Parts: sequence; structure tokens; C-alpha cells
Amino acid sequence: MTQTATLDLGHEKTDLIGRVKTTFARRTEGRAVVLLIAVLIWAFIWESTVFTAYQVTLGRLALIGLTAVGLTAVILMGELDLSIASILAVSGVVMASFDNVVVGILVALAIGLVIGAVNAFFVVIVGINSFIATLGMLFFLRGLAFVISDGKPVTMANKDFALDFGKPLLGEFTPRVLIFILAFITMQVFLTRVRVGREFYAVGGNREAARDAGVPVRRRVFTGFMISGFVAAGAGIIVTLQLTAADPTAGGDALLTSFAAAIVGGILLTGGRGSVLGTLLGAASLAILQVGMTFNGIESDVQNIIIGLVLFVAVITDPNSIRAVVGSARAFLRSRSAPDPAG
Amino acid sequence: MTAELTVEPGETPESADQEAGVEQQEFNVLVWMSEQGVFVFTALLLVFAGIFIDGFASVDNITDVFNRAAPIGIVAVGMTFVVISANYLDLSVVAQVATSAVLLLAVSNSNNMLLGMALGLLVAIAYGIVNGVAVGVFRANAVIVTLSTTFIGLGLLRWRSGGSIYFGDPDGVIATFGKTKIGPFPLAMLVLIVVTVAMHFVLTRTTFGFLVKSFGSNREATRLAGVNTPLVVIGAFTVSALGALLGGWVLAAFSNTAVSSMSDGFDFEALAAIIVGGTRVFGGKGSVLRTLLGVVFVSALTNIMVLSGYGFGYQQMAIGALIVLAVSVDALARKVGSS
Repeated sequence: MTQTATLDLGHEKTDLIGRVKTTFARRTEGRAVVLLIAVLIWAFIWESTVFTAYQVTLGRLALIGLTAVGLTAVILMGELDLSIASILAVSGVVMASFDNVVVGILVALAIGLVIGAVNAFFVVIVGINSFIATLGMLFFLRGLAFVISDGKPVTMANKDFALDFGKPLLGEFTPRVLIFILAFITMQVFLTRVRVGREFYAVGGNREAARDAGVPVRRRVFTGFMISGFVAAGAGIIVTLQLTAADPTAGGDALLTSFAAAIVGGILLTGGRGSVLGTLLGAASLAILQVGMTFNGIESDVQNIIIGLVLFVAVITDPNSIRAVVGSARAFLRSRSAPDPAG
Repeated sequence: MTAELTVEPGETPESADQEAGVEQQEFNVLVWMSEQGVFVFTALLLVFAGIFIDGFASVDNITDVFNRAAPIGIVAVGMTFVVISANYLDLSVVAQVATSAVLLLAVSNSNNMLLGMALGLLVAIAYGIVNGVAVGVFRANAVIVTLSTTFIGLGLLRWRSGGSIYFGDPDGVIATFGKTKIGPFPLAMLVLIVVTVAMHFVLTRTTFGFLVKSFGSNREATRLAGVNTPLVVIGAFTVSALGALLGGWVLAAFSNTAVSSMSDGFDFEALAAIIVGGTRVFGGKGSVLRTLLGVVFVSALTNIMVLSGYGFGYQQMAIGALIVLAVSVDALARKVGSS
């Protein structure tokens, strides 16, 4: 009892710097903040159109961010979902095939949920590595999108609805941006304030321990994949509404950028660490970078090189990677300074 | 010594098999399917196609299947090393194959072929080292690392080449190589077989191959045994890069053209062949010969679907289902075995 009291007292006494330090050590968004600041400085000095034409930047952010937010739920549990690229294509094609837009949207969202559940079934019940299960799904659904659409873009019957979708709804915000903001806030609250969401971290941190502590691991993995599938289907609908036609080849680009956003945002691929806020920051820096480079007239190939470099640097500056490198550097130095027993 | 050691991991499940008791019957079937199934299914598929599919057994068709299977097969054989080392896959083969093909034809046209091949080799080694260091030393996730190097590599290639198509000299060495056949077998097939045999030797008879396997089944134990594990990973990614280099050359020779988009989809198609062949995706277990079989199976299946009038969409669906099926059988076999 006394022990606890002194410990608590010690915690109270920690000075401001100490508290700031602990907060920083706990947060995972460090790299995303650094990148965002760097990108903002670059944009302020050389390409301020990013801010004046903020509609474009926000639209881009909504697109990159939406799938990334859904993906975060899966990555937090230490799983991957490659199938989001094809879910995007399938949901778009299915939605465009219906004459009634509302029915189309509902069916497409339901398909996203079902695909998420099927992914989870293979991962949890059959026991396949999620990377492979969703890879198979990536192929299968891409094929399905081609079969449904006959390999051609499907034009929407109700173009007016799609055009209205592109107009500002609330103030300056288009529905697309509003949906993204809503999705972000929902996920943020879900993962930080709701018990089920908090348990995602437990599942990703240590699955065995979570199971022993009474967390229904299987159900959580199902929830995660279904969130990811649902959000990806939503993104597919939005892309289709934007183009007024569904492209069966859509999604390849979204896969890369949403992974990049999540990883730049500090979500640990092995699970258990990260935040939706990090994903948002990662998505924001990538969106500003892409839009800025486009306005600046930088070729798309060079843009890809730069995005690839950002992703590469982000993945090798992960705290675990830094620790691994420091560890092996130390071991190397020790082996150099230690006398060689052989000679 | 090495050969004896590599046999051991395969024996462990069989001894567990003896204790499975009641579920022995089902267990045997699943294990047999996951380990030997691909041999039987490939044979059945080929026999079925030969009898029932019009035009499958014709010389022209077989040459065509081989010509299409060879580049992807060479890439898959190289990538098998990455998969066995438990690093999922090497996505950057897409960029590597295209770069090697474009370099070969572009430099052959402007300077000479040997310079193009030498430059390609340098690029391949660079890919192997960059991917290998990021994954081996920094312990970064291989999927994301190779995804980023794909973007950097393809971006560089498209930026420098402007996305243009390079045509080889119609009477040059490269074009001749692409056209030469021995019976129904194009030279590309010969390259695939030679590469497979060589890589099989490396994987089963050399220390490097043994280390790749042991790293794949238990990286921590391998490291504690005093092995320089980052070098093993760099080696695995370099083998994959060399496979992609050769695959790119063969691909360029087949069509005598090269363009930066010519290898789209090679990453997952190669992985599909590796998985269908029965190499375990968690690493540690697999063989180059199985990959060759996987390539034959997937190529034959694709060809049968084309001949029967099933388009791209159905082919992709079939490959996706095949991947999940192959891995499910393996997963269930292990599950039943452990329960």
C-alpha cells in the first residue's frame, strides 16, 4: 500500500519535461509529424496553391485517407489486407450496375462487409496467413470485377446524383470530404474510447495474452476485416461517383498510398501500436506532397519515385528497425574490440 | 552433411503423424494433398487438357505456353529464395524485369549488347543489396520495402525511358535467340530448366541454400548459431534479382521489344506459382523444383482457360481461388496434425 502511494507520489512529482518526454515516447506519430512539417514548409515556400486550392488537396486527402483509415483497423491487429484494391473495383462495378443509386450503394457496402468476413474466415478459422488469404482475394475479386463489367468501364445510369455528389454540401465541404471526416472521427473514438476498439490493440500486441485475458480474438479479427472491407467498398463507391463510371481496374494506386499513409503514420506492421491520428497525418502529408508536386508540374514518374522514397525511409526508420540496426552496430563494434580467440 | 540436415525438418511432421490416432485417416489425406498433391494435379490437368481441349496438344500451342511460362518461371524460381527465407515475396521484380528488358534492348541499339547486359547485372545487384539491407539489417517488412523499391525503380525507368517502346534489331542476336526452337521447345524453356537445376543445386547442396532454409524456419536460432543473418537475406534478395534479370532478358528476346509496363503482374503471378507448387509461405520449407511445377500448372491452366474461351477475369478468379485453396489445404493439414 505504502509502496503504491510512494510510486504515485513519484509520478506526480515528475517535472514538465519528464512528462513531455513520456508522452512523446508513447506516441507513434513522430515521423508523420516530421514529414508533415517538412511538406508544409516546402509547400509554403514553393507551392502555395496547395492552400489556396484547398478543395483539391482535401479531396485528395479524403481519397487516400479513407482506405487508409479502414486498413489501420486491420494492421493494428498485426494483419494485412491486400484485397482492398479489388474491393474498391468490385464495389464500384456493382454499384454502377444498379439503376437505383441508393440500392446500388447499399448492395456495394454489403458486399464489402461480406468480403471482409470471408477474409477473416480464412485467416481465423482456416488459419491462413492474412497476407496470402487477401492476396488470393485480390486476384479473385479483380477477376470478378472484370467478369461483371465485361472488362469495360460501367457508366452510371443516374449521372445527376453523381454530379451532385461533387458539389459542396456543408459550407465548402463536398460530401466526399465530410464522409472522410466522419469515418476518421468514428474510428478515432472507436479505437480509443470503445472497449471493442481498445481490444484491437490487445489482439495486435500479444494475441495469446489477449486470449488468456478473455478478449474474443476471433471476433475482433472478424470485426477488423469487416471494417476494412466496408470502408474500401465505401471508397469504391466514392471513386465511382466521382468519375460517373466504374473502372474494373481501379484500386491499385489506392493500395500503395493507403499502406504508405498508415506506415508513415507510425502504425507498426506487427500490430499493437499506432493510431488513426497517425494515419490521418500520414495521409495528409502524402496528399499535400502529391497535390503540390502536381501543381508544380513535376512528372508523375518523378512523383512516384519521391513517394517510393518516402515510404522506404518511413519503413526503415521504424523504432524496431532503428533498434535492430543499433543492436547489430554495437555487436559489430564489440566483436571488433574484443580479442579474437582464434588468433 | 548439408544434405542430411535439410532432410530432417521434413521428417518431423511424419513422426507426429503416428501419434495423431483417431484423426490419422483425414490427417494423412490432407498432408498428402499439401505435400504431394501438386504432382498428381499437374499430371491430371495435363492429361485432361491433352484429351479434351482442342488445340492444347498441338506443337504451336505448346511452344506458346513455354514461351509465356519461361520468363515468369525464371522470376518465380529466383523469388523462391525470398519466400523460403520467410520474407513473403519480392514485389520489386516487376520493376526489375522491365528495367533489365529495357536496358538490354535500349543499350544494344545505342551501344552494344554486352554493355546492356553488364548494366542490367549492376542494377540487379543494386536491387538485391537495397532490398536485402532494408529487410535484413533494418528488419523492415519485406512487402513494404519491395513495394517502395518497385515505385522508385519503375518511376526511374519510366522517367528515363519516357515510357517509350524499344524495338530490337530484327536480325540481331536477341531476336534470333527469341525465335530459335528445339522441336516445340523454345530456347527460353531451356534457360528456365538450366536456371531451375542450378538454383536447385544452390538451395539443396550449398551452405548458402541451407542457411536460407534455416533462417526461414527460425531466424533467431540461426542468428544465435553465429550466422551473419543480414548477409543471408541480402543473398536471397540478390538471387531473386538475378532471376528477374534473366527473366527480363528472356521476355525481351521473346517479343524483341521492351517497354516499362511489360512485366505488370509478374510479382503476384510468380508468387502464385510458388505457392501452388507447395513452397510454404511462412518460410523454411520449399523447393525450386516445386516452383517449376507450380509454373507449369498455372501456365497450363491459364492456357486451357484461354482455349476454352474464358477471359482475363475468369483466369484471375481461378488463380485467386487456387492460391487460397493451396494454402488452406496446407493450413488445415497442420491444424489437424497439431490437435
